[in-house]
Amino acid sequence: MKQFGKLGGLIPWIALVVLILIVGSFDTTFLKPATLIGLFADSATLFLMAIGMTAVIYIGSIDLSLQSIAAISSIVLALLIPDYGMLAIPAALLAGVLFGGLSGVVHAVLRLPSFIATLAVGGVVTTAALYLSDQRSIQIDAQPRLDTLSWAIGTMFGVPNEVWVSLVVLAVALVIEQATPFGKAMKAVGCGEAAARVAGIDVRKIKIVVFMIAGLFAALSGVVLAGRLSSGSPIIANEFLLPAIAAVVLGGTSLTGGTGGVLRTLVGTLLIAVVRTGMTFVGVNVLAQQIVFGVILVAAVALSTGRAPKGVMK
Amino acid sequence: MKSMKSRWASAIPLFVLIGLCVAIAVLDPKFLSLGNIGRIAAAASAPLVLALGATFIILMGSIDLSVEGAMAFAGAVLAAFVANASGTGFDIGLAAIPIALLAAAAFGCFIGMVHVYLKVPSFMASLGMGFVGIGIATVLLGGERVGILDQNVRALALTRVLGLPLSVYVSLFMLAVAWFIQDHTRIGRHIMALGGGEDLAAASGINVRRVRLLAFTIAGMFFGVGAVLTSARLGASSALLGSGQLFTAISAVVVGGTALTGGKGGVLQTVIGVLIVIVLNNGMIILGLPSFVQQGVLGLAIILAVLLNSSGRSLAIVK
Amino acid sequence: MLDLKEITKTFGRVRALKGVSITVDVGEVVGLVGENGAGKSTLMKVLNGIHQPDSGTVEINGKTETLRGPRDAAAKGIGMVFQEQSLIANISVAENIFIGNEAQFVRFGRIDWKAMGEAAKRQLDKVGLDVDPRTITSELSFMQRQMVELAKVLTLEEAVDGNLCILLDEPTSVLEQAEIDILFGVIRKLRERAGIIFISHRLDEVIEISDTIYVMKDGAVVERMMKADATPERIHHLMVGREATGSYYKQDERRPPAEAIALSVQNVSRALQFSEISFDVHDGEVLALVGTEGAGSEPLIRSFFGLERTHLGKIVYRGEDITNTSPGRAVAAGIGYVPRERKIEGIVEEMSVQENICLPLGGRLTRFGLFDFPAIARKTAGLIAKLRIKTPDGSTLCANLSGGNQQKVVLSKWYRTDARLFLLDHPTRGLDVGAKEDVYALIREMCAAGAAVVLIADTLEEALGLAHTVIVLKDGRQTARFDNTGPTPVTPLDLIAHMV
Repeated sequence: MKQFGKLGGLIPWIALVVLILIVGSFDTTFLKPATLIGLFADSATLFLMAIGMTAVIYIGSIDLSLQSIAAISSIVLALLIPDYGMLAIPAALLAGVLFGGLSGVVHAVLRLPSFIATLAVGGVVTTAALYLSDQRSIQIDAQPRLDTLSWAIGTMFGVPNEVWVSLVVLAVALVIEQATPFGKAMKAVGCGEAAARVAGIDVRKIKIVVFMIAGLFAALSGVVLAGRLSSGSPIIANEFLLPAIAAVVLGGTSLTGGTGGVLRTLVGTLLIAVVRTGMTFVGVNVLAQQIVFGVILVAAVALSTGRAPKGVMK
Repeated sequence: MKSMKSRWASAIPLFVLIGLCVAIAVLDPKFLSLGNIGRIAAAASAPLVLALGATFIILMGSIDLSVEGAMAFAGAVLAAFVANASGTGFDIGLAAIPIALLAAAAFGCFIGMVHVYLKVPSFMASLGMGFVGIGIATVLLGGERVGILDQNVRALALTRVLGLPLSVYVSLFMLAVAWFIQDHTRIGRHIMALGGGEDLAAASGINVRRVRLLAFTIAGMFFGVGAVLTSARLGASSALLGSGQLFTAISAVVVGGTALTGGKGGVLQTVIGVLIVIVLNNGMIILGLPSFVQQGVLGLAIILAVLLNSSGRSLAIVK
Repeated sequence: MLDLKEITKTFGRVRALKGVSITVDVGEVVGLVGENGAGKSTLMKVLNGIHQPDSGTVEINGKTETLRGPRDAAAKGIGMVFQEQSLIANISVAENIFIGNEAQFVRFGRIDWKAMGEAAKRQLDKVGLDVDPRTITSELSFMQRQMVELAKVLTLEEAVDGNLCILLDEPTSVLEQAEIDILFGVIRKLRERAGIIFISHRLDEVIEISDTIYVMKDGAVVERMMKADATPERIHHLMVGREATGSYYKQDERRPPAEAIALSVQNVSRALQFSEISFDVHDGEVLALVGTEGAGSEPLIRSFFGLERTHLGKIVYRGEDITNTSPGRAVAAGIGYVPRERKIEGIVEEMSVQENICLPLGGRLTRFGLFDFPAIARKTAGLIAKLRIKTPDGSTLCANLSGGNQQKVVLSKWYRTDARLFLLDHPTRGLDVGAKEDVYALIREMCAAGAAVVLIADTLEEALGLAHTVIVLKDGRQTARFDNTGPTPVTPLDLIAHMV
């Protein structure tokens, strides 16, 4: 969306406001702050995963394993909470970091294209999730859930904690992206890998760490999801992959890497959330909503890459 | 020297298949019983057809992640044109099959158009459109699992000739078709040429866009055949008809020795790949392992196979 | 049969071709030489229909023609054998020969392999190559592929009425002498029915095979000579010759180097690229590597920065063994590399000037892990002023700068990390005169500050103008070493004598 200059970054925001107003004109309760905050809270888990996806797409790669990672982290959490309480959370996050790191190593060291590396690792993670959970969903009892996960599912100052968690994560991610050497190295790997290498950046290390970060955020998304649903399950995040990629691309982070960022993903996620709410309002089946997300995804990719095809598009 | 080495490398999948069969047979001789071999053949029929379709795309250096969506769409179209359990079918009997195949081919062609004309990378175009396919199927089927009552369609799975269901013969016929396309037609050779060097092929005057469009159309048609075979076996159609088939198809192609970079491998390698995947699954069932282990094993197999297939590659940037 | 008249072609502000006229007759081999960037490849692309000339005409057999693309050019009798081979490795020889023209062999949708094989055999016979047309192309030797390439072009004989013009772009660059002799034999035979344009960097070969030789420089033909008048020295001088003005290279600012050895290269070799290279570079010294294209200086300089592996020998930087280092470690040790491919390896075009400058910094200029933005802004502003980078401010995208200013950004990346050894690979490529002078001044400043410089110059004059020491490479071997600070000046001709 470069051709629109500085205004290009505003287009998704304008679209968001317009969409909210359209949905609001059908149902004015939609425009109440409480409804909008609730909407944000409901999309928090998607947002957390989309943040991880943003990091990967920012370096020009893709991760198709994130929904499996979210699932396994929810299972690790649900399994460990009865015996270990709070310690279950870092364990669940660690699982995400490890599997993300595995994708990173397969991609960066063994040099498989990221989509196939993460497709394959996703299969491994799914098997691990099914094995750990014995192919069923694992309940988290009310009391331990309250003890250990209230930071994610309660409310503070009248605002659901999912929103606070999302905002904290957004702030941290934004600072890393904008104000650290690591963030700039990511950008360089995304839009000029050869130049990044000559500048002395360890491209392999950056890639592996980025996949670990993506795993971490996917795992966090799984933890919050488990808190909301009071259970961990191998299919807990099954409908997440497409909206997560769509949120990133719709916000304006290009699949070719190096442009966009986490702030864009915020607006992308909100757009997806509003579209979804609008469709549910009209009564569109959840699976049928995939039509809309699929079209949105393809259209957003076409708009963002159509202008500058780098080499042969395979 | 190099060609000797690459010949060895291309024979590895065959050795792996033989090794697997021997290992499983040693652990449990039932594996080699006629009944079990028939089961393997029947289980392999739909995955083979699907993997053959994916082979054309991968030979071109692209990828097709729409297998499940294309199957769901074709399955829904099929269910709409035969006698079905919800009584909504526009019953035209066996003539529904060509219609379903046509729909699948059109679906593939559409993905190709998105890929070629909107310049969306194939993995993204097929991923997005695959979900669209599942969505359309959901709408067509009303979100239900709809039973297929037409006995002629079901016969594909139920009627046996020489002890094997008709679907096995259909898949063998599709193999012959795929082999003919790959080795004896211009489009097949151009797909191969695109995989070997797209810019070189374009410089030689090949219409690259047309080849890509046709390849996705052919693949869609194969996915349609796979969908028909699968719904005949299940006796029903649903939006989740192809669930899990993407992973099986891609891993079969890759494990068989077709390189993701394109231009290397082919439909005969895919046969080996499919057999490896199915034998592995069959063996795991015989040995009493839970079926979900399969995805993990296949994931590792994909990584290994891609590694084996890309030795000696240049230091090109991989994204 | 082919007559190019006053062809011009401009890309943006660059005038790639400034009125080039070339004539090729049937039975004639025309040699075309010039440095990279002299306009040869643009001319080839015009002839191949990939570029349309801005002005001037292409006449074929006396008729003015417009070439709309490779296929159109082929239909009009112009065939091209590419420098990078155009054969597709994973399909058969016969398919490669007839790719895009298979229609003649298709019966009822099926390709008649027997007919195609026989037709391919006839083409292969023309170039005297005895291989089975069903062979997969990747199994052929390089030489055989080159011949298949020729055979493919010769299918034009049947397809086109009238005479052919065949363009051979660097056909010998990877061939052994015996193979070159075979190729030349084929070319001489082809002469009977075609005009031939032969492009090569190997001047002795061009002279051997050609009847007429055109020398190109800076987008124009500077000389047309007959075979009898041609010598490698004369041609080379025409290719690279440039009137150097007195202080252009700031020779008066050349100071004698210090005693301390900055980089010591000891017998390093890399298979097929360079072998047994040894030299020392001292603090404050500029050492230039010269040689023809492909003589090995580029992989050599890249190996000092960890971008290429060396197989034998040792590289020592200030007492520390840096053989097969990595770019990260090289940067940390204070080595800066200015790559030839500026837009690919030098800068990230989609990042701002400031971001580019900060890339090699690692964790410096940060506080608690976060950038110290005021300090960065100060440093960037200082560098922009010092290197006279013409940019509105530090947040401008590098893509929006001119080539010269982009190159200054590359230099400033290393300027600020206190690099003590600069590896400069064609640092003035594509720059205008003013920008070149700025770069020369910067090189002098680096040396005055005590840094050592290894340079691959754009021209021999530039190498001699800047360097204290010149090392000549030929075919990956070190053929001469000149001390350029002695009383009698070294001339380009002295260098050329060891290059060709």
